[in-house]
Amino acid sequence: MIAQALMDGLIAGAMIGLGAIGITLTYSILRFANFAHGELISWGAYLALALSGGLGYLSSNLTSSIGPFSFGWSLPLAAILAIMLTGVLALVSDALLFGRLRAKGGSVIIMVMASFGAALTLRSLLEFTFTTKPAYYTNALQIAMPLGGGMRATPDQLLALGLSAIMVVAIHLLLTRTAIGRSMRAVSENQQLSGIVGIDVRKVIRTVWLLGAGLACVAGIMAGLLVQIRPHMGHDLLLPLFAAAILGGIGSVPGAMLAGLIVGLSESLAVQFIGAEWRAAVAFVILVAVLLIHPKGLFGRVA
Amino acid sequence: MTAPALSTQALVAGYERDLPIVRGIDFAINTGELVVVLGPNGAGKSTLVKAISGLVSIHSGTVRLGDRDVTAVPAHEKVRQGLAFVPQTENIFTTLSIHENLLVAANILPKEARSRRIADLYRMFPDLAARPSLKAGQLSGGQRQMLAVARALIVAPSVLILDEPSAGLSPKIATEVFRTLKAINQTGVTILLVEQNVKAALAIAQRGVILVDGKLRHEGPAATLAGDPIVAELYLGAHRPAVSA
Repeated sequence: MIAQALMDGLIAGAMIGLGAIGITLTYSILRFANFAHGELISWGAYLALALSGGLGYLSSNLTSSIGPFSFGWSLPLAAILAIMLTGVLALVSDALLFGRLRAKGGSVIIMVMASFGAALTLRSLLEFTFTTKPAYYTNALQIAMPLGGGMRATPDQLLALGLSAIMVVAIHLLLTRTAIGRSMRAVSENQQLSGIVGIDVRKVIRTVWLLGAGLACVAGIMAGLLVQIRPHMGHDLLLPLFAAAILGGIGSVPGAMLAGLIVGLSESLAVQFIGAEWRAAVAFVILVAVLLIHPKGLFGRVA
Repeated sequence: MTAPALSTQALVAGYERDLPIVRGIDFAINTGELVVVLGPNGAGKSTLVKAISGLVSIHSGTVRLGDRDVTAVPAHEKVRQGLAFVPQTENIFTTLSIHENLLVAANILPKEARSRRIADLYRMFPDLAARPSLKAGQLSGGQRQMLAVARALIVAPSVLILDEPSAGLSPKIATEVFRTLKAINQTGVTILLVEQNVKAALAIAQRGVILVDGKLRHEGPAATLAGDPIVAELYLGAHRPAVSA
């Protein structure tokens, strides 16, 4: 039972970690906690659902399952388009709301309150368009495979874990080995100095929105594939996401993923040993404990 | 007649529109000159160079780089046009390595020129070349200034502006910084230097300008200013600026 709880925790933690990377990147550069990030997760999941349905309608071959997985090619293709569209949604929200407030010198609290407003608007739009009824990418049932040590996982779950690992490495390499990644780290430390060394800070901010939204979309698709798609799915993930971003240390990509896994495992073990009703409290306890005891988190700077 | 490397005309600038700190400054630096900006605390020296660099709002007047009007050009574009600035504090990225600090600045150069230019800078600043992967935050005060200057020179600027580069440094390290600036100037780079260390700054400069209350009060050759009673008056506290009613 414990082994399976660990596996479930790892899978949930991978989703939390991906979302937390988006949070930590936007927080470190835009300098405010974006509470609308959860809605980017939901929108990413629904965009992939709509596009996958559309592609399946155009060609039924695309809905046939790929190997051991529960979905056909329509979903990966839709995911690529959904990542781009979620990025566009984030850029539009910045152009219409956050960018304008930044230009007016909006304080952190104004940005945070604006993000609450953006979250409510985006969530209501989803409910209006797709209703609150849960949706699924596929109706196919998957049998969990034994992995040894009493652990079992479905091929979709293993894919999600593998994909998360690949994405963390890719983002870490982007930040440390590429010009845009170094510019992002520079802007994260000092925006004014970044300007005088020739970095176009507005371009970096746009890149961060795109990257954060893309990761949110992937996290949303994973959550939709492994659990279900609901307009509140991103909102419900918000507390674990912020707990992971702060536990990992603001600005640290490996920290966010490691912390996501810690939060996921803690939630899963809490369900096992304390009771399912305490699951949501775990992230809150972690969040408060880190802020009180070690606000720098595992690898970052003070939140 | 060739245009000055850098000039301002009736420049008014400050952090708030109704509270200008720089109040109508006209001055020009010729190509290849090293000019020092002097003045008591609160004279507007740092605000002047920040306004020229694009970090402080210009309310009126113009800034020209050569024959181009760069008054409204954003800071990151001014670097591309050949104007480099080294602020007094927070002038390096402490969480990036020495090499990454240089790479970030080199990003605006053509790809094929970046490695060559960084190698040039490592030859000029061998201390930096010794440990390129060291986090810049671990450097001493003098090494930080050297990295900041190297970072600014990456783009081979036509004009280099420095805001009190000797602040907080030991006399020995400050001397080293001034020697380096003199050497950079001798390679043809025009330098505008804000300094409180009057004697050392005038020793390397060709010309000095003195600001008081956001206005240009006096200017002259460095050798003359070094013994000028106005300079002594300003720095020994004899000067009492007029208080407007």
